[in-house]
Amino acid sequence: MSATVSHHYSTTGLDNRKIAIWAFIGSECMLFVSLISTYLIYKDRSRVGPYPHTPWTDPSTGHVYHAILNIPVTSASTFVLLMSSLAMVLALAAVENKGKPQRNLGERILGNSKLWLFMTALLGLGFLAFQAYEFTSFVNEGLTIKTNLFGSTFFTLTGFHGAHVTAGVIWILSMLFIDMKRGLGPSDAISVDIMALYWHFVDVVWIAIFTLVYLIR
Amino acid sequence: MATTVIDTSIPHLQPYVPSPVPATVQTYKSTVWGWLTTTDHKKIGTLYLFTALFFFLVGGLEAEIIRAQLGAPNRHLVSAETYNQIFTMHGTTMIFLAIMPLSSAFFNFLIPLQIGARDVAFPRLNAFSYWVYLFGGLFISIPILFGHGPNAGWFGYAPLTTKAYSPGVNIDFWVLGLQILGISSLAAGFNFITTIINLRAPGMSLMRMPMFTWMAFIVQFMIVFAFPVITVALFFLLMDRFFGTQFYEVTSGGDPLLWQHLFWIFGHPEVYILVLPAFGLVSEVLPTFSKKPLFGYPVMVYSGILIGFLGFGVWAHHMFAVGMGPIADSVFGVTTMLIAIPTGVKIFNWIGTIAQGQFKPTSASLFAVGMVALFTIGGISGVMHSSPPADLQQTDSYFIVAHFHYVMFGGSIMGIFAGIYYYFPKMFGRMLGEKLGKVHFWLTFVGMNLTFFPMHFSGMLGMPRRVYTYDAGQGWELFNAMSTYGAYLLAVATLIFIYNFFKSKKSGRPAGPNPWGAGTLEWTIPSPPPPYNFAVLPTVTSRYPLWEGKQADIESARINQQSGKSAEQLGIVLPYGTIKPLLVALFMIAMFSGLIVGHWLIFVGAAAMVLALYGWLTSPLEPEHH
Amino acid sequence: MIGNHRLRRLAPLGVAAVLALALAACAQSYPNSTFTPHSDLGRSIDFLWNRLMFFGTIVFVLVEGALVYVVIRYRRRSEDVIPPQTHGHVALEITWTLIPAAILAFIAVPTVRTIFETQAPAPANSLVIEVTGHQWWWEFRYPEYKFATANEIYIPKGRTVDLVLQSGDVIHSFWVPQLAGKRDAIPNHTNHIWFTPDSNMATTVWNGFCTEYCGDSHGEMHFRVVTVNPDQFASWVSHQQAPGFFSPPPAVAAPAAPAAPAPAGATIAAATPPPAVPANPTASPAQLASYVLPRAQVPEYAIPHTPLPDAIKFDDRLQGDPAAGEKLFVGAGTCNACHSVTGNPLAVGMIGPNLTHVGSRIAIAAGMYVNDKPHLSRWIKNARIMKSGVLMPTLGKGQYDPQTKTTTSAGLSDQQVADLVAYLQALK
Repeated sequence: MSATVSHHYSTTGLDNRKIAIWAFIGSECMLFVSLISTYLIYKDRSRVGPYPHTPWTDPSTGHVYHAILNIPVTSASTFVLLMSSLAMVLALAAVENKGKPQRNLGERILGNSKLWLFMTALLGLGFLAFQAYEFTSFVNEGLTIKTNLFGSTFFTLTGFHGAHVTAGVIWILSMLFIDMKRGLGPSDAISVDIMALYWHFVDVVWIAIFTLVYLIR
Repeated sequence: MATTVIDTSIPHLQPYVPSPVPATVQTYKSTVWGWLTTTDHKKIGTLYLFTALFFFLVGGLEAEIIRAQLGAPNRHLVSAETYNQIFTMHGTTMIFLAIMPLSSAFFNFLIPLQIGARDVAFPRLNAFSYWVYLFGGLFISIPILFGHGPNAGWFGYAPLTTKAYSPGVNIDFWVLGLQILGISSLAAGFNFITTIINLRAPGMSLMRMPMFTWMAFIVQFMIVFAFPVITVALFFLLMDRFFGTQFYEVTSGGDPLLWQHLFWIFGHPEVYILVLPAFGLVSEVLPTFSKKPLFGYPVMVYSGILIGFLGFGVWAHHMFAVGMGPIADSVFGVTTMLIAIPTGVKIFNWIGTIAQGQFKPTSASLFAVGMVALFTIGGISGVMHSSPPADLQQTDSYFIVAHFHYVMFGGSIMGIFAGIYYYFPKMFGRMLGEKLGKVHFWLTFVGMNLTFFPMHFSGMLGMPRRVYTYDAGQGWELFNAMSTYGAYLLAVATLIFIYNFFKSKKSGRPAGPNPWGAGTLEWTIPSPPPPYNFAVLPTVTSRYPLWEGKQADIESARINQQSGKSAEQLGIVLPYGTIKPLLVALFMIAMFSGLIVGHWLIFVGAAAMVLALYGWLTSPLEPEHH
Repeated sequence: MIGNHRLRRLAPLGVAAVLALALAACAQSYPNSTFTPHSDLGRSIDFLWNRLMFFGTIVFVLVEGALVYVVIRYRRRSEDVIPPQTHGHVALEITWTLIPAAILAFIAVPTVRTIFETQAPAPANSLVIEVTGHQWWWEFRYPEYKFATANEIYIPKGRTVDLVLQSGDVIHSFWVPQLAGKRDAIPNHTNHIWFTPDSNMATTVWNGFCTEYCGDSHGEMHFRVVTVNPDQFASWVSHQQAPGFFSPPPAVAAPAAPAAPAPAGATIAAATPPPAVPANPTASPAQLASYVLPRAQVPEYAIPHTPLPDAIKFDDRLQGDPAAGEKLFVGAGTCNACHSVTGNPLAVGMIGPNLTHVGSRIAIAAGMYVNDKPHLSRWIKNARIMKSGVLMPTLGKGQYDPQTKTTTSAGLSDQQVADLVAYLQALK
């Protein structure tokens, strides 16, 4: 990471990057609000199937397409992403508490920032694996990004989110790399803190998508 | 920190007294490499200024061709296809490549100086924003030279922009170009929000910030919240055009109004993004030349914030003819009327600033007064089409063209010219010629009204906008001829300005730190400012440190005005110059171009960009402190 | 100081210029003026416009007056004077917030009322006209009378017209400034705009325009609206319903005419309500047969002036044979691939304008060129040079097609073009 500017004067006493990440998250909110709104506006407007919640029979071939969304599988992937946020909280705490005495096994585990960064990245990758599975199975069932309005909006929205998760995983792995190389300490907490904010935001966006796209018919 | 001996007997540090004219101008020469690698907000601001002025001339040339074509009925100087590319690029150029970046020039140059900072929060990101703007601007502008310019109007309504109706590369360049330019604006937005929140000098509370910085602050929030929406709208179009999605595909049930809503949710805030910086500049100029603080400062702040908020709630007034139904029409009509109230309050407060003051007509203050006068006309015609039934006669006619030119030219451009005359001495250390400046003002003022006032008539007399020609006998000949001669007059005015600008930059009268006897922080430092801006970070006790300042304000002003020392001598750490932001920008453009050129370039560009970005993130911003 | 003097001299000059403009606006004729509405909707809008103009003028005079006043009154006379350092005035701020708010209330209330009045469903007996915008022409259908036409419509004075707007491709917008405001024609949407032309207005032609940018020839997407008396309208309708024949024998117009409104309506469908077109008691049926607005009554502004492109050569002395033209229309000319002529079972193309009575139209190419032999022949020969981007192919032999950038060796000879022109001109 770049040399921090923490030794510079600042009006609020906060790190510049902390303010910038909040502005960035505000901006990202508008991005996802636009994407989710488009999905909802187009929800029942596809002229041909497959549809998300109802089966569809192709009038020309007679082929029956099932309701596309697989809610049990996505519930599992949602749980995985939520757990990654928990791991991220522990990773941040571990970095902040570096150097404090670790009196027992539990504190040693909790204080292991490498472990929790690794867990966060692993769970993030797990979520992406679920998404890859979901996308390929949809394509196999006959829904691509070109098929209908549902396909276009669904893949674009969840794809955008997946890209954010991917970026987050790369960020976390870079941080893990630094941790392994020179060890992260309390002075790096701000860097981890900013990354954690981003990660939790991406997680919250998924909760919104899961609710509005998958759960609400 | 600084060890300068303080001369305690400087008379011009009294309020309203201009600093004496120095014999020479301190310059900070730079090599080409120095410009390419700069992370200094002032140099980046200068780059923005020159690039944006260049694009302003390009957009102006396009306007002249438009007016030459429409000067008489059934004239065919250019074909319909060429005309459509020219009017599309005129709008796109003026909005995204001229007015916004001219504002950015002032954001970059002024915000750190006005809040007492040595640079912006993220100097390298700032350089990145500029290079993305430059490359993106060229990317979107060059195709027209080969007859493949964007041709669907600056708001590119779907489904005209889809592959079915625009099969060529014209729209490809437009959609990718705007996407690229959006990245520049967003990056700058995060940067300036952070700068203004976090780098204000001690004592520079929010309610002591100069009005320009306040308006810039509001604009950055509007950028940060509005640009993601057009990013999404453009992304859909990009996916439709390149990857066969169905977002705007009518035969699949796609709704053309999706584009319109998304575009105007961005597009209306964009209007305020374009005009609020000019409001800010005028709010700096009028107090100085009236020798009086800005009238109703808190009201000016709150009305600006209110405009920012309401600006997000009025977008559908661009869509009264699409048939949204009576309820939506009523709601958007009334919210649009409401936005007139804070805007009116601003106009009244500018008049209140001049009233009871000592108004001195200079090029800067004349442009500022001209801005108030002309923006008022644009505001009044704006209220006229806030009434949806009345708007059905006005929308998409030349009446609208008249309206938004009174806002964009009468408001933004006049305000920006006021800012250029006012801040030229600070930027270049020399005065911008006053005599030619006044000629420039009067020709612009007359030419502007001669061009755009008759358009109110041609519009209400039935002339649609965006027609490449019109038939004789429709009653539009006189008004169009007037508009065309007005446009020629504006061309003359602009050429005079350009001549004056470069002549003054070379041999204008040396300015000194505070040639106008102004009161805000940027006038407490030398002109042009040294790389570190402030030898000591000022301690601010009032809104106009040089007018109403307490001892602390005057003390820091004394030190800062006289310091001729280098950053090293003062022990000030400045960021390294670096080429990496330029490289990241360049490779990013290459990546985007891959969609048109060939998909291999996407991967090559992306890989190069990631490498450059890695280099950027792993290299230190500045030397370590000792 | 110089600036101030100039400003003082310029202010009356500016006022004079505005007055001169206003005077000029009254003196000349403005055929597309929105200030002289000829319908209920037009007048509703005009009422709002007048109110907006009234308050706008007051605000303009007060604000600009105050600005000019303070600039002159408080100009700097000496560099030594420091004015009173006022920072604001609470009562003033409240005043100039409330006064605009009050003015806006006076605008908002009639605005909202007018929105709901003008956007209510059209009255039940309205004349429905289905309007479909195409790149770059207008398709008009009269579902009540079961016929279609293009680019020129007739409407009866005094009867509400309900325009049902759709689009065949991109977004267009329908505007007849003297009759109504705009309404967009949007794909996948159906829009309405309705108005009642004044009963006492002139029998004349109004220009209409596309006002949403829709591609290359957006500037040439015009149409004409002819306001006629109800009996004339009835005659025109019965004529439009009749098949198109290249040499109208007297027997064709005659049988349709006496029965003008009633049988025409009755034969269409029982479901459609009888057209509310009262027969004019003063005019005899024979006089009303095949009514079209006489050329002499077409105002100058409704006749296009677009010059003939020099690039297309055609010998205007060639005499065409309409019978040969009819064969070409469905034969070598392949016109029927896109165009319909009612009564000709082979000409049922749906892509281009319906040409059943094209000979009686004022203009061709959506109001771009006069409908006469020199223009029509060149249009058939090479439409793509005459109007940017059109679908209408380049048909003349050896002509260069600017869209495909090729020259056809096949195609119609000039004599064949002349035959087609003769046929089309005969389709009165």
